[in-house]
Amino acid sequence: MTLSSPNPKVTSSNTWNFEYPQTSHSLSCMTKRSSKYSRLRSWKLQYCLRRTLRAAANDYFSLLINLSIHALKLNIAAARPESFPPSPPFSLEMLEDILREKPLEADGIDSVVVVDNVPQVGPERLEKLKNVIHKIFSKFGKITTEFYPDADGLTKGYVCCSHSGPRGVKNADGYKLDKQHTFRVNLFTDFDKYMTISDEWETPEKQPFKDFGNMRHWIEDPDCRDHYSVIYESGERTAIFSNDAKEPIVAEERARWTETYVRWSPKGTYLATFHQRGIALWGGEKFKQIQRFSHQGVSLIDFSPCERYAVTFSPLMDTKEDPQAIIIWDILTGQKKRGFHCESSAHWPIFKWSHDGKFFARMTPDTLSIYETPFGRFDKNRHVCIYRDFSWSPGDNIIAFWVPEDKDIPARVTLMQLPSRLEIRVRNLFNVVDCKLHWQRNGDYLCVKVDRTPKGTQGVVTNFEIFRMREKQVPVDVVEMKEGIIAFAWEPNGSKFAVLHGEPPRISVSFYDVKNNGKIALMKMYDKQQANSIFWSPQGQFLVLAGLRSMNGALTFVDTSDCTMMNIAEHYMASDVEWDPTGRYVVTSVSWWSHKVDNAYWLWTFQGRLLQKNNKDRFCQLLWRPRPTTLLGVEEIKVIKKDLKKYSKIFEQKDRLSQSKASKELVDKRRTMMEEYHSYRETTQQMYQEQKSARLELRGGVDTDELDSNVDDWEEETIEFFINEEIIPIGDL
Amino acid sequence: MKPILLQGHERSITQIKYNREGDLLFSVAKDTVTNVWYSVNGERLGTYNGHTGAVWCVDCDWDTKNVLTGSADNSCRLWDCQTGKQLALFNTNSAVRTCGFDFSGNIIMFSTDKQMGYQCFLNFFDLRDPQQIEDNQPYQTIPCTDHKITSAVWGPLGEFVNAGHENGEINQFSAKSGEILNKAKEHTKHINDMQTSVDLTMFVTASKDNTAKLFDSTSLNHIKTFKTERPVNSAAISPIMDHVVMGGGQEAMEVTTTSTRIGKFEARFFHAAYEEEFGRVKGHFGPINCVAFHPDGKSYSSGGEDGYVRIHHFDPHYFDFELEA
Repeated sequence: MTLSSPNPKVTSSNTWNFEYPQTSHSLSCMTKRSSKYSRLRSWKLQYCLRRTLRAAANDYFSLLINLSIHALKLNIAAARPESFPPSPPFSLEMLEDILREKPLEADGIDSVVVVDNVPQVGPERLEKLKNVIHKIFSKFGKITTEFYPDADGLTKGYVCCSHSGPRGVKNADGYKLDKQHTFRVNLFTDFDKYMTISDEWETPEKQPFKDFGNMRHWIEDPDCRDHYSVIYESGERTAIFSNDAKEPIVAEERARWTETYVRWSPKGTYLATFHQRGIALWGGEKFKQIQRFSHQGVSLIDFSPCERYAVTFSPLMDTKEDPQAIIIWDILTGQKKRGFHCESSAHWPIFKWSHDGKFFARMTPDTLSIYETPFGRFDKNRHVCIYRDFSWSPGDNIIAFWVPEDKDIPARVTLMQLPSRLEIRVRNLFNVVDCKLHWQRNGDYLCVKVDRTPKGTQGVVTNFEIFRMREKQVPVDVVEMKEGIIAFAWEPNGSKFAVLHGEPPRISVSFYDVKNNGKIALMKMYDKQQANSIFWSPQGQFLVLAGLRSMNGALTFVDTSDCTMMNIAEHYMASDVEWDPTGRYVVTSVSWWSHKVDNAYWLWTFQGRLLQKNNKDRFCQLLWRPRPTTLLGVEEIKVIKKDLKKYSKIFEQKDRLSQSKASKELVDKRRTMMEEYHSYRETTQQMYQEQKSARLELRGGVDTDELDSNVDDWEEETIEFFINEEIIPIGDL
Repeated sequence: MKPILLQGHERSITQIKYNREGDLLFSVAKDTVTNVWYSVNGERLGTYNGHTGAVWCVDCDWDTKNVLTGSADNSCRLWDCQTGKQLALFNTNSAVRTCGFDFSGNIIMFSTDKQMGYQCFLNFFDLRDPQQIEDNQPYQTIPCTDHKITSAVWGPLGEFVNAGHENGEINQFSAKSGEILNKAKEHTKHINDMQTSVDLTMFVTASKDNTAKLFDSTSLNHIKTFKTERPVNSAAISPIMDHVVMGGGQEAMEVTTTSTRIGKFEARFFHAAYEEEFGRVKGHFGPINCVAFHPDGKSYSSGGEDGYVRIHHFDPHYFDFELEA
């Protein structure tokens, strides 16, 4: 097959004309024509203008450069008197900037597609076929060139064409021309790619099993101490502590362990550290490195709840062909599972996982995509409507999402079960401004906070729509709130919820309970609260109301069983509150990231008794290590609760023992310190006495060792003290 | 007891010092006046007028004859304590940061700042030789090229000077030969103040790195560390108890952005042996720049960025207080 190349005439600023030589090109050349020609032309023009030399086609390029150099040398030589020092040797570097722009043969090949399953026709019907093809493809994209290879008078049944924009034409894949002919459209570059793949199956090499020891070592602590990670010295040092009521015990401490911050995996098995080149996971007894994910510039991480997959985000390195803004990794093998495009990480996590890690979903303004694990099978669920927010139930494979109003169609909150895709509940809402989805941690309840602007009223009204998930047909009850909502939080394992409402500085807190009959009862309301956040104990019942940052760190410890305030305290300028996973302790902290002085974390009991003040230089972040879910069944927990009295006796004794031990240790420590100090002072005093004669000599024989050692020289002085001033009016004279 | 408030300065206090007997208290500030007070009732005895810049340091010799002051007006001046007459003027090329009489009161030392292209010098004059004063020519001058001296105290018997530097280093310079006899690097930041114990065998340093440390004067061995969460501007050792008082707080530059509540402008009392804090005294509404114990140990004074000097007499229970051990 031969193509006739055009012979463009390019005119340079001088009057020389030049021609392209006739060349015989293969298929790829055809594709170059359109885009490449214009580029080539402009480049050539530039070249000619700059050097005012005759240029020629690609093939003679090297020769030309030599010529041009020669000519330039001559020019330079001619323009200069002999007395000048010899010119430096002319190098190719001077032409490099132009050479760099020289087009390559493979440029533009990306826009070629091969269309298979095109009817085979003779030359007489070729024109007709061309028309048909043109017509079909005009729907998908613009075809700039086409080529119908033929043999024995018939076309070969496939067409090569180039087009503008690779995406559109590729969509013609699967187009049915008629019963026999269904188009298969493939990128030309794909042929190349798949040709090079070997036909023979190579069995992957079996990786040796690496034993990292007991990954849940910290759970076996005889005193049930929980771990927490602390970053301090503005990120220079990271430490893992074992929490103890007396003082923290260092489990591990390293300098520059992470470059930004750390994250625990949801069950506490791994500690993720961030580095410029990617993520490292640490675990086991000695915090050895378990896994590495290479992701340049990584800034965020999220784990699947089952700890099988990790999702990382990097703002760098995203290309059209190879999506890697978000990468999903297999934690066990360390393999990259899939990359995704992502424009913004504003709403992290972008991918939300179902509670068992079976599904994960992502929302774009007009699609909700649900994926299924293990990978390889993707169930993409496209609904063409505008999605605003979605959330997985933390207890079941149910996804909740809401869609705003669209003209006459009301806003909708939908609960959909997976994998059946059964919509178990749809609730229509009117005049909706915004919705927020709040799941109770077990997935027993869903609260949808609905901000509405009802007709005929001014301002925004907030309703809580409470979905009772465990009952038939999911009944919904509504709680109307008259004031602005500052915070809402469910009791993690109960049926209560707490709401902060009002306008600062008049803030109130209300506690509600969802009764078995579905009635939502207001248990208690306190006004004049200094709080902007609610932190429930992970075991429920207790909570901390905190006025973080701008509210100076006011803290209120509440027992919601009878709604009493157990303690009111303050950690000035506190920025964070973190409950330990057992609900026994709570930590408040002032992070260096938000406030530059007094960086510290304080440990409180759940009742609000301050146990420790840990000042750490430029303290940044404290995170409790999560615990895996308990292995005990409901019955076993019941038995333990029943025998609590028996256990508490043992624990109390243990506490007493350790307490007396602690105070004894302290006294012992002080005693040794005092002994050391005194022995030091004795040696110095001894030396001091030895130097007495030298001192006397220096001060002319006056003994000044004691304040009153030279009383004889003292002078008496009378000093008046101003004690009181009394002005007595003498009265009328 | 109710503290006595001394209002004699218009700008922040830079240093306060008792004389050996403790009946007089000298105070210098960023204004140009040096004040002397009766420590017992806070009555002002007089002033020493002459400086034209902020006065950084003051010292009084053992028999309360002479007073030495160093100022940012590039001079160090010697005054007659009783009359307030200026006895000598030592002109320098840059501000005088720290000054002191040796044990005998015959030799003085002062250090100059690294400033305006001049490096830091530690100068020694012998007051018995009028020629040195007349020529303004010290018998010994030690240049410090790397890090300037920010505070210095004489060792016992006047053999050497222990100088704290802006990088936290402490060097022991011989007063005779000028060579470095000893070195210590325990602090990580600027040393704000150094004060000796009454017998001169120990000194305490106050540093911007939020700690004060106790050292042996001769060996420069580090003995104790007292940690706080604010820069420490000054620290003093009690002459009768195993106590150390420290003053400090948020840096003056940052004070406007922080409330007095978190500035921590209290004077703090630490037990010297246990390194534990056992008491605080509130009062200043700016950082404390200097603290000093009365030589009888029954009162102490503090001077603040707020321009006040406060004399505090201890309550009786201060002397009975004991940490359990």
